[in-house]
Amino acid sequence: MTIKKIDLHAELIETGVEQVLIDLDKSLIGLEPVKTRIRETAALLLVEKAREKIGLAHETPTLHMSFSGNPGTGKTTVALRMAELLHRLGYVRKGHLVTVTRDDLVGQYIGHTAPKTKEVLKKAMGGVLFIDEAYYLYRPENERDYGQEAIEILLQVMENNRDDLVVILAGYKNRMNTFFESNPGFRSRIAHHIEFPDYSTPELLDIGSSMLDQLNYHFTKAAKNAFIEYINLRKEQPHFANARSIRNALDRVRLRQANRLFKENNGLVDAEKLSTLEEADIRESRVFSGGIDN
Amino acid sequence: MKLRQGTFSFLPDLTDSEIHTQVQYCIDNGWAVSVEYTDDPHPRNTYWEMWGHPMFDNPDAAAVVFEVNECRKQFGDSYIRVIAFDSSHGWESIKLSFIVNRPKDEPGFHVSREEVKGRSIRYSIKSYATDKPEGRRY
Amino acid sequence: MPDGSDKLTGKARYSAGVLEYKKMGYWEPDYEPKDTDIISLFRITPQDGVDPIEAAAAVAGESSTATWTVVWTDRLTACEKYRAKAYRVDPVPNSTGQYFAYIAYDLDLFEPGSIANLTASIIGNVFGFKPLKALRLEDMRLPIAYIKTYNGPATGIVVERERLNCFGRPLLGATVKPKLGLSGRNYGRVVYEALRGGLDFTKDDENINSQPFMHWRDRFLYCMEAVNRASAATGEVKGTYLNVTAGTMEEMYKRAEFAKDLGSVIIMIDLVIGYTAIQSMANWARDNDMILHLHRAGHSTYTRQRNHGVSFRVIAKWMRLAGVDHIHAGTVVGKLEGDPATTKGFYDVMREEFNPQSLETGIFFDQHWASLNKMMPVASGGIHAGQMHQLIHYLGEDVVLQFGGGTIGHPQGIQAGAEANRVALEAMIFARNAGDNYLQNGPEILARAAKNCTPLKQALDVWKGVTFNYESTDAPDFVVTPTTS
Repeated sequence: MTIKKIDLHAELIETGVEQVLIDLDKSLIGLEPVKTRIRETAALLLVEKAREKIGLAHETPTLHMSFSGNPGTGKTTVALRMAELLHRLGYVRKGHLVTVTRDDLVGQYIGHTAPKTKEVLKKAMGGVLFIDEAYYLYRPENERDYGQEAIEILLQVMENNRDDLVVILAGYKNRMNTFFESNPGFRSRIAHHIEFPDYSTPELLDIGSSMLDQLNYHFTKAAKNAFIEYINLRKEQPHFANARSIRNALDRVRLRQANRLFKENNGLVDAEKLSTLEEADIRESRVFSGGIDN
Repeated sequence: MKLRQGTFSFLPDLTDSEIHTQVQYCIDNGWAVSVEYTDDPHPRNTYWEMWGHPMFDNPDAAAVVFEVNECRKQFGDSYIRVIAFDSSHGWESIKLSFIVNRPKDEPGFHVSREEVKGRSIRYSIKSYATDKPEGRRY
Repeated sequence: MPDGSDKLTGKARYSAGVLEYKKMGYWEPDYEPKDTDIISLFRITPQDGVDPIEAAAAVAGESSTATWTVVWTDRLTACEKYRAKAYRVDPVPNSTGQYFAYIAYDLDLFEPGSIANLTASIIGNVFGFKPLKALRLEDMRLPIAYIKTYNGPATGIVVERERLNCFGRPLLGATVKPKLGLSGRNYGRVVYEALRGGLDFTKDDENINSQPFMHWRDRFLYCMEAVNRASAATGEVKGTYLNVTAGTMEEMYKRAEFAKDLGSVIIMIDLVIGYTAIQSMANWARDNDMILHLHRAGHSTYTRQRNHGVSFRVIAKWMRLAGVDHIHAGTVVGKLEGDPATTKGFYDVMREEFNPQSLETGIFFDQHWASLNKMMPVASGGIHAGQMHQLIHYLGEDVVLQFGGGTIGHPQGIQAGAEANRVALEAMIFARNAGDNYLQNGPEILARAAKNCTPLKQALDVWKGVTFNYESTDAPDFVVTPTTS
């Protein structure tokens, strides 16, 4: 029996893809180019499925991807959503995400790497394998590096087991580019390159506010302004990791608030006092005196 | 002669996707799945060679099908079986076992009879293939 | 039920004469059974005019310390402890004049590890007791302390499967037919054909022992030739239940030893040899790594009627203690008695580590089995390949499906019959594992499998209409009423 017509919008809702996209929108601040790319990818895959149902020529599209961008720009979070999306669309059977780095794939001695890499690949089958800082797999300076062995197995499985798992390679943009240049095998097997831009200051403030919201904290107006200043200073410093740096900064702000509450020591504290972060809690940061936060 | 050991030996040989459905059933039951091979199919040859450890942590059966195919590459003319272990109390043994690869030619078994006292006979069964040393049988 | 004990004490209790049992201390409505008590549940049908509580107390008395009159020698004993105590009497739902009586027995009333002793108490005298019209032992709760005095099944389901190298599907068997009259040589032919065709086991019938037409040694010799030939032809471990039932223990041991010498993996006994003989044969089987098959010959004389006798679930519990590995337990869909819910209860008693109370399947008590081995139920009698989906649905995976007529009666011969059964079975298990709604789609799954297997196609055509739909005489008293939401 062949189907003649397919309602794409109904498919979008029935497969639950629409819901994943809405969740993605809600849970991630900013990242507009990424969200657009994901919507486009979802549309393509949905159309591909529709073509299959109607009986038009189709082939399982290559789904391996690369996510490039600075740390803390939401790559892992998006990978999680992507795994769910691919599962809803029927491109991966289980939809789990296995996150690894070089150490999980490459062995210490001869004969160690192949079983290690295969273990990881088998665990990821039915889902998505996310290789963070993928360029560390390739170490041209060391000709006896076992990373090359892992790369060969990876490439083989990415080609032969396309129905079984999707691989996402992730890392800094520049280093990813170099990696792809020296490993054309990867370049040709990856269909979707998604770039994760750095967050703007207002976006980072939003991210910080929503983190605080979840924890039942809030800034005073002065504190908020101080935090904007903090963000602008911190962004220019080395090792800035976007949302991750914001989370770390807020952890330290909370620590200072707690210390302040003890030092003030003027009797009882109420909910308001316990949840208010003040300007001083922020300005004490060494970033304001030329130091570096991690 | 067709070796009839295993749960599905009377069905046509299983395709990879059929193997997948059966293995997924095992995984979904929480059983660890293992690949084993041998060139000695005697019914009481309990210990086939292990193709790696039982797979305890793979949510998808593709991992097992992958290993079956790796094993086929090396031992394509041997018997290969997939077995699933249930570790729950009161069982702690195999729950499913089925052959996924067999040699092109299966010569079968010979019954030898030794007449002993009275009318009794001692039987033993021997695979024709095991006359040759391990690794050179099929 | 009216409560309150009229129990007498001291001088009043022990003056000579006849007292009501309930006044002698056999009715204790406030008694809370100890974890170490054996509890029996009887269905009692008192004579007209007999108070059900008095009847229950009488059953407690007659199955423990009492006699019809007061005896002063009671007072030389810790009689309070030894008296069985009826502690609860409930009317049976939808059955006028019948009551469920709960009776607790102290552990010290029983010799460890002896079914004979247990049954001599619980069903010894009391079933002929005049004030009762009828009496049925429905269920027993066996305390762990008591279970631990038994070794249980000699082999158990898991080790049986390991020894046979057979996993993931029911085992297949067939009883050699005709039951009587075949010579040893002809008998072995049936065994060979059936095993070679794809069955795991063949079976002697309950009344095949050593008759003029076939001496037992002949049967064993020809059968083992058949087993070994079939094993070589298929590469599988095969077996045939060699029935060692005989007139004396000495003779049974002799036959069992011969079966062992010939390399058989399994021997068989009949329930009619008695509990002590069964326990002895279980010990022998354990010492000799032999699977022990029990044919429940004779059980229906006391298990079938709902109001009198002993329920088969109790027999099953006794047999798990006694230590047999296989026991016939009903087919649900075949020619012999077997209500689905009641049969499920039997199977659970045999195969589970713990049976929670489940009135709808006739299990009245939580029962722990203290890691005693599990028994493999055997489904035999009027079943055929066309029922495979129902058999697997009702009976599960750990069961021996015995297709006697359903193998030997195949129009193209015994091998074809065996192959049809095996293909039907494997196809159904495959479909079940693959997530197919096999109970509903059973006929289509079989038809599909038959495309690659002509013998199955023929079997389905020949037996397509055969069913045995008679009302069961042993259904549970409690039914699940669907809740309306």
